[in-house]
Amino acid sequence: MASVKDVFKSLTLGELVSGLTVTARALFAPKTTVLYPEEKTPRSPRFRGMHALRRHPDGTERCVGCKLCEAACPAAAITIEIAPNERGERKTTRYEIDMNKCIFCGFCVEACPVDAIVETRFHEYCVESRAGLVWTKDRLLDNGARREEEIARDLARDMKYR
Amino acid sequence: MISIEIDGRKVLAREGATLIDAARDAGISIPHFCYHKKLSVAANCRMCLVEVEKMPKLVPACATRVADGMKVFLHSELVLGAQKAILEFLLINHPLDCPVCDQGGECRLQDLSMRCGGTRSRTREAKRVVSPKDIGPLVSMREMSRCIHCTRCVRFCREIAGLAELGMIGRGGDSEIAGFAGRGVDSELSGNLIDVCPVGALTSKPFRFRARAWELSRRPSISPHDSFGANVALDVKDDRVVRVVPRENEEINECWLSDRDRFSYEGLNSPDRLKKPLIRIDGALREVEWNSALDYAAHAIKSLVETHGADALASLASPNSTLEELYLLQKLTHALGSGNVDFRPRRRDFSTDGHRSGIPWLGMRIAEVDELDAALVVGSFLRKDHPLFALRLRRLAKRGGRVSVLSLADDDARIDFHARLAARPSELPAALEAIFRAFARIVGETPPETRALSDATAPYPETDAIRAIAESFVGAKKSAIFLGAAAEHSPNAGRIHAIAGAFARVSGARLGFIGDAANGVGGYVAGALPTGLNAFEMFARPRKVYLLHGVEPELDCHNPAQAVFALRHTELVVVITPFAGEAIPEYADVVLPAAPFSETSGSFVNTEGRVQTFEGACRPLGSSRPAWKIFCALGRLLGLPGFDYASSATVRDEILAPHTLEGREGVGGIGGIGWVEGLDNALDEAFTPLEAKTPAAGALERVSDVPIHFSDAIVRRASALRETKDAAPPEARMHPKTLEDLKISDGERVRVRQAPGKATLTARIDATLPEACVRVAAAHPLTAALGDMFGTLEVERA
Repeated sequence: MASVKDVFKSLTLGELVSGLTVTARALFAPKTTVLYPEEKTPRSPRFRGMHALRRHPDGTERCVGCKLCEAACPAAAITIEIAPNERGERKTTRYEIDMNKCIFCGFCVEACPVDAIVETRFHEYCVESRAGLVWTKDRLLDNGARREEEIARDLARDMKYR
Repeated sequence: MISIEIDGRKVLAREGATLIDAARDAGISIPHFCYHKKLSVAANCRMCLVEVEKMPKLVPACATRVADGMKVFLHSELVLGAQKAILEFLLINHPLDCPVCDQGGECRLQDLSMRCGGTRSRTREAKRVVSPKDIGPLVSMREMSRCIHCTRCVRFCREIAGLAELGMIGRGGDSEIAGFAGRGVDSELSGNLIDVCPVGALTSKPFRFRARAWELSRRPSISPHDSFGANVALDVKDDRVVRVVPRENEEINECWLSDRDRFSYEGLNSPDRLKKPLIRIDGALREVEWNSALDYAAHAIKSLVETHGADALASLASPNSTLEELYLLQKLTHALGSGNVDFRPRRRDFSTDGHRSGIPWLGMRIAEVDELDAALVVGSFLRKDHPLFALRLRRLAKRGGRVSVLSLADDDARIDFHARLAARPSELPAALEAIFRAFARIVGETPPETRALSDATAPYPETDAIRAIAESFVGAKKSAIFLGAAAEHSPNAGRIHAIAGAFARVSGARLGFIGDAANGVGGYVAGALPTGLNAFEMFARPRKVYLLHGVEPELDCHNPAQAVFALRHTELVVVITPFAGEAIPEYADVVLPAAPFSETSGSFVNTEGRVQTFEGACRPLGSSRPAWKIFCALGRLLGLPGFDYASSATVRDEILAPHTLEGREGVGGIGGIGWVEGLDNALDEAFTPLEAKTPAAGALERVSDVPIHFSDAIVRRASALRETKDAAPPEARMHPKTLEDLKISDGERVRVRQAPGKATLTARIDATLPEACVRVAAAHPLTAALGDMFGTLEVERA
């Protein structure tokens, strides 16, 4: 009996219709995807994107060269060299993050006692060689300068949970 | 031994020991800041408070002696609460700047805060700020706000370094550590302040902000600068030595290091380091590959030796070279048929060669110095030549030992001397003999007639000091006569040795040489001794080929002017050295870059005959190579047999008797520590000293010291040490009366003439010198043009 029903259904294209119904429903239903890159989803203030080094409002670097981020990094991606600057302060002469190694765990950010190294919401970087994925101090400071407002706002929002 | 109970555990303790010592001996650590095992007890930090049964209050473990049956609790609620409270107190004013503090990661306060402290601060008040101080180029006192007033530094200066250069001023919350009247710390042991400070208040200036404690790999090594062979640990980062710290060895350096041992590492990283071999091509030194340099050197040596005979070759090594290097150098020289090999460039009198019963040494173990009743040091700028030996003598004098000194200048050794005397260099043997005769008279013996005690020199008047020194040996159970570096470098070295030997025999004292270099004993063990010309003669009678290892003759030789002249007018000079010295382009034809002690393996034999083997701490810089490999390669290229060594250890095993190193595993991971045999300071009967040269009446005698921070090629290149007071340019120092006789005033520029050269220096009054003497330091570029370290010179207004 069941087989007779099946034969009838297939002859009247019932299966096709029911399949197409699903398609048609999806066609007119409200969309949940976005048109990247024209459209973007919202990101959390804790988003772990590209690293940045911050400066104080007076323009001096926040980083004091304590090397805790270097020590905390599980992927050994951070390389720091330090020396006293012209005012005798402890400052970095080299600060590099090798993005080939970085796993975006955020331990460096947690280790930083002065909120100098942060991970920003920015993640849209691409390079054409592996060498380009070694971020120098200049590039990290530049990223910080571009996004300082956003970084400060995100840190402030997250402060009560820290 | 008595029995006490710590936290329920039975512990045996020495009677009279403090609780903290007893616990440490049992392997239990009690938190503390102000306690230091080598310093007096202050009990001011209160960190070591412990609970003792039947005592009403907590007691400081560092100031409480153990008693039989004592029950001590280290982890009771009361003790833990006290520790937490003490840390909270200390942190009221201690800045929380650990991220920028060099002590971070190796800080006692940090460690104890983690171990016993609280987790939250209740302090809302502002912290105290202490102004930074400047106490010299080695130790930083910039962040004195970090000080916790444990006063270890104050006690160190007073008790170990011998002069209270630091003190605590102010009271209560305003108290702070300061130098007196703003003066710095001028001590050859100042670097130990860095180790002694439990927090980051006193830190190393050269190491400032260079690296973190956790980035460094600590490799054991031996200091290559003085005859003690202080045990050091080299902290290495990225194949560079960035810091040197002491490795504890009670028998040698205890837990101390001299500044020279500690800060000389900067020389290892100096821009002067050679990275490639050099050959003289068309009049200038040019970089070449190893094979060309070695081929060139081997061919040139071979053809010159063939043309001029083997005697035309002379080899000179620095006494700071390793045992293996000295052995291979003498093996190479002897295999080529020449006996002109030596390792004692600063010596003048070699008359004892062939008359010694054994290898000259300290005459006792270093640790035995502490047990002496009487000691006499002859011919030594004690504090600068041998900082760690001076430290032991200082302690000996403090404990009641009678320490006397007979030297060339009455320098402040910061030792409470029993008696002290400064004699002119030519009178030094006579003065020693006067002490000997005074002693013999007191004990009623006639001094034996030895040929050393000749009448050629005028007898020295028996002054109070002479009598006092002689008396100090009367009734002494254990006594010693130590001959210092100046006595060894003196042209009267043989005579002084003989007189001191005779005095030692009669008085029952031991005779010892403090030694002037890291491998002063090792050179004798390696047999790097002349059968032909010695270190002085090889330049006095110029040779055709010179093989120099590690020495800079323009600074290291007894007569630098003569040495440089000989080198300039010769056919071939092969230099094996880590450094491109300023004078090298003047005379060198082949320069082979060798690795310094930090980059090679080898052994030093210190003045007590202790063999200490070490490994390289980092890779050789550039294409420099360990010197023992260079000697092996040269030997093979010269077609000599027996230069196929697999490692420096195989060389060492060939030198030392097989049982020397057996059964004694090294301290701190260094393998092979043993004692050499055949140490003996006696001279045989046939010894006759050189004829004494009495300077003409009215002649000025030169007194030269080797400034502590110019003593060898590595130290000379250490930049921070160059800024210390000890590295000030040499002056022509004279007794006020001598200066008056010459009608020269203090601070005037004078021209000092000593054949074959002259030097323009500043005249300076120095009442510590004997009359008719001019103290002009050796081993400095400013005085390198002058002749013998000891001799007569002329001074005139410039």
